[in-house]
Amino acid sequence: MRNLRSILLWTAFLVLLPLAAFAEDGTGGSSWGYALGAGLAIGLAGLGCGIGQGLTAGNTTAGIARNPQAAGAMFTNFILGMVLIESIAIYGLVIAFLLQGKI
Amino acid sequence: MIFHELEHLIGVPWVIQATLFAAVLLLVCGFMVRARVAGPRGGVIPDEGTSVRNVLEVLVAWLAGMAQDRMGPNWRRYFPLIGTLFFFILISNVIGLVPGFLGATGDVNMTAACAVVVWVFYTAIGITTHGWKYVLKFTGPGLFDLHIGGRHIHVRALAPLFLPLELLLDLARMLTLAVRLLANMFADHTVVAVWLAIVPFAVPAIFMGLGLIVAFLQAFVFALLAMIYIGLSLDEPH
Repeated sequence: MRNLRSILLWTAFLVLLPLAAFAEDGTGGSSWGYALGAGLAIGLAGLGCGIGQGLTAGNTTAGIARNPQAAGAMFTNFILGMVLIESIAIYGLVIAFLLQGKI
Repeated sequence: MIFHELEHLIGVPWVIQATLFAAVLLLVCGFMVRARVAGPRGGVIPDEGTSVRNVLEVLVAWLAGMAQDRMGPNWRRYFPLIGTLFFFILISNVIGLVPGFLGATGDVNMTAACAVVVWVFYTAIGITTHGWKYVLKFTGPGLFDLHIGGRHIHVRALAPLFLPLELLLDLARMLTLAVRLLANMFADHTVVAVWLAIVPFAVPAIFMGLGLIVAFLQAFVFALLAMIYIGLSLDEPH
């Protein structure tokens, strides 16, 4: 847990460092914020989506290992769960595209 | 890219050409199978080996079983659209994998059109099945019951909160249907193109095989989601 927290803190630090650096730069009219936002949007959406899909795949595999005869019934629900989780990453992708248009 | 060349020659956008090409392929396959089935004893005795008819029969039977599970007893009324979408998207995806050709599903206009068709279809089904009660699908659960003159009335007190969110979710279905298909096919073609640039020998074939799986899976997913949305529209709003 402590390890995770330090990783998150370091990530936040590394993300925010250029913000502070560029803020003092004071070059008006640059649109680095949009670029950063676009990258973060799809990146974070992909992160959450990856965790969710990993849980789905792992639990479906465990379920099939316990009860191989129900594999057919599980497969449709597995695909469905994958697809519905994927739509969250798609929202992130759309936002990234919207932001990319503003760069 | 043969459709790009044609676009320069005759001025018709390549998406329309690719769509028509896929449609003609589908029609030819359909008429071939129809002639085979309608022929003498054709409907009873299956073909030997792997023929177009056997492949299509297996796919249609598999899809029909799934539609039966998802859309209830009246599934036959809605099945033609599902089947058309599935085969059209499948054949467009596979055309996109052939070197020199482009699939119609690689363009946002095509996938968005398919998604809008699905949305209009399931909304129309919901309205014709339930009438004005279809609106209740968007208003959230009843918070408490009132008894007035022997009638139960669900008071949907949370409707102001639920209505915007549910409407947004309903419209987002269109967006996700369109973007999912487009993004998957685009990513797939990009992977093959990148590997072709790195190692232009044998290795891209692996990723083309992977692309074949993705092409099939995305067509299936599109059809499955259309079935599920129609099934949800058919459910009684409560």
